[in-house]
Amino acid sequence: MKSYLAVLRGSFMIGLIYRYGFLFNIAGNIIYMLVTYYLWKSIYQGREVLRGLTFDQTYIYVALGSAVFILLKTYVDWLLSFDIREGMIASYLIKPIDLQFYILFNSFGYSLMSLAAITLPTLILMIFVLHIEIPLGIGLALFPLSLLLAYLVSFCFDYFVGLLCFYTESIWGLSITKEIIVTVLSGALIPLQFFPDTIQKILFWLPFQAIYYTPLTMVAQPNLSMDTFLPMLGLQLFWVIVLFVFTRLFYNQAIKVLRISGG
Amino acid sequence: MSLIHVQELKKHFNVLNRREGIGGAFRDLFSGDYRTVEAVAGISFDIEAGEVVGYIGPNGAGKSTTIKMMTGILKPSGGVLQVNGSVPYDNRIRQAQIMGVVFGQRTQLWWDLPVIESFKILKEIYKVDQKTFDKHMNMFNELVGLNALYSQQVRTLSLGQRMLCDIAASFLHNPQVVFLDEPTIGLDISVKAKIRSLIKTLNEERKTTIILTTHDLGDVEALCHRIIIIDKGKTLYDGDIKRVTALFGAYRTLKLQIDPFDESTLEALREKLTTHFGAENSFTIAQTEEFWTDVTFDQAHTPLSDVLGVVMSNFKVSDVRIVEIAMEDVVQRVYDGALR
Repeated sequence: MKSYLAVLRGSFMIGLIYRYGFLFNIAGNIIYMLVTYYLWKSIYQGREVLRGLTFDQTYIYVALGSAVFILLKTYVDWLLSFDIREGMIASYLIKPIDLQFYILFNSFGYSLMSLAAITLPTLILMIFVLHIEIPLGIGLALFPLSLLLAYLVSFCFDYFVGLLCFYTESIWGLSITKEIIVTVLSGALIPLQFFPDTIQKILFWLPFQAIYYTPLTMVAQPNLSMDTFLPMLGLQLFWVIVLFVFTRLFYNQAIKVLRISGG
Repeated sequence: MSLIHVQELKKHFNVLNRREGIGGAFRDLFSGDYRTVEAVAGISFDIEAGEVVGYIGPNGAGKSTTIKMMTGILKPSGGVLQVNGSVPYDNRIRQAQIMGVVFGQRTQLWWDLPVIESFKILKEIYKVDQKTFDKHMNMFNELVGLNALYSQQVRTLSLGQRMLCDIAASFLHNPQVVFLDEPTIGLDISVKAKIRSLIKTLNEERKTTIILTTHDLGDVEALCHRIIIIDKGKTLYDGDIKRVTALFGAYRTLKLQIDPFDESTLEALREKLTTHFGAENSFTIAQTEEFWTDVTFDQAHTPLSDVLGVVMSNFKVSDVRIVEIAMEDVVQRVYDGALR
C-alpha cells in the first residue's frame, strides 16, 4: 500500500509541476459554466419545474457535472495505450507492482490535483457568483463516497480501453467512441430525467449512470430519502466490483500477446 | 543450482504480413495472413551467482527478447526458464523484487520529476528501508556524484547522466541479478568509461550477477568474464571471454577510399595482398559503404604498417581510417568457425 501511495504522491507532484495546464482548465470551465447557465435559463423560461427538476437542481447537476468530468478525465486510456505502443510498459512490468493498482493510484494523484484546482473553484463560483444555493441533505454527505465509486467505474472503462491496445495497437477510434457513449449515456451532459422513459429504464441496468448520474443526483436532490440513495450506492459498488474483476481477467489474457519491439 | 537456468528457451511472435500501398493496407484490415517469427529459437545456458556475462549479437539476434523473458515481461513460447529457482513470468511481482533492469533505450525513472523523487518512489516500491537507502545513495554519490543531479528533472538530464541515474536506480534495492540492456548506447567515450567503472564496482562490492547486452565490444572486454554470442535466436558461442578477445582484440579494419574505383579494384587489392603476405594470412575485403573499402586482418600476424604500405604503393588512396572490429564481423568470424 505504501508503495502505491508513493506513486500517488509522485503524480500529484507532476500535477503541481504542470500547474499552468490547470489555469487553462479553470478558464475553460468557467466559460462552460456561464454558457450552460444561460442555456438552461432559456430552456426553463417561465417554468418552475421541468421533468421534476427545478432550474437550480438542473444547473447544479450540469455545472458540477462539468467539474466532475474534468476530475474523471484522467486520460488513463491514452497514456496506457501510448505506453503499450512505445514499449514503455516494460518499465512498469519490471517493478514489483500490480499494473492496475499502479495506474489507478497514478491517476488518483492527478485527480487530487484537479480536485483542488478545478472542482473546488467551480463550487465557489457557483455559490458566490451565480448565487446557486446547494441544498443541504444526506445526499450531500454521501456525495464523496459516491464520487469515489464513480471514479473507480470510470477508471475501469478507461483502463479496459487502454488494454485493448495490446490487440489493436491503436485506440484512437475506440477511445473517442467510448468517450461519446459514456458522456451521453451516463447523464454527464443532461440529467437522465430528460431522456424518454424507456431509455431511462434501459440505462438503469447499464454501468454508465454509475459514473455521473448517481453522484450528481446526490448533490442536486440531496433530500431524497435514504431508501433511494442506498440502492444507488449499492449498484455503484456492484459495478465497481464487476468491472474491476473483469478488467483484471482481461489483463491476464491481453498481457500474453505483448510484443515489445526495437530494443 | 545455478542462479539462472535456461534450457531450450523459445519465443515466437505472430506477425501480420503487411501488404504494400493504400490498397494493401485496406486488404490487411481483413487479412489473417500471419507469419511466425522465431525471435529466440532454442537457447540454453546457466549463469552462476556473481558472474558478469556479456550477451551479445547483432541487431535482431534475440538478445532483448531473452532479457524480457528473464525479467518476466514476456511469456516464453517453449523451454525452461528459471531465475533463482522460480519462473519469472508466473511470479512477476515477486521476481521483480530480486531483479534490477536497465533498458538503454527507455528510462525507468519518472520523466517529469526531479531525480531524487524517482529514487524515493522506488524506495517505497521495492520496500527499501531508510538505512539501506541512505547507505546506497551515499555510495552512488561517491561513485558518480549523483548529488549534483538530485534536483534536476529527469527529462532535462543528458543521456549520459540519465543512464548513470538509471543504473544506480536498478541497484537501489540490492537485487541479486541486474540486466543491463545496451547501457552505453549513444554515449561518448568518457561517459562510457564512467558507466563501465560504475558497473564494475557495483559487481565487485555487491557480488551482483550482471547480464549485459551491448554493441560495444569495449564494454564486453572491460566488464565480462564470460560471453554468450547469439544470432538469429541461436547460441553461437558460450564461454571464456579470452578466446573471443584473442579473436577480435588483434583484428583491425582498415577503411580505404580508393580512387579511381571500379569493379576490378577489390579483386586487384586481394591479389596484391595475398601475393605479399601469403595465402595463410586471411584478409576480409569488402565494400561496406559507398566509396569505402574495408580490409579486415589480424594485426598479430600482419603488421598494420606493412599492409598500409602495400596498399599505398599500389593504389591511389585518398582517405584512410582504422577502426576496431565491429560486432557483426566478430559474429561472422564465429560463423566461419574461428572458435572451433
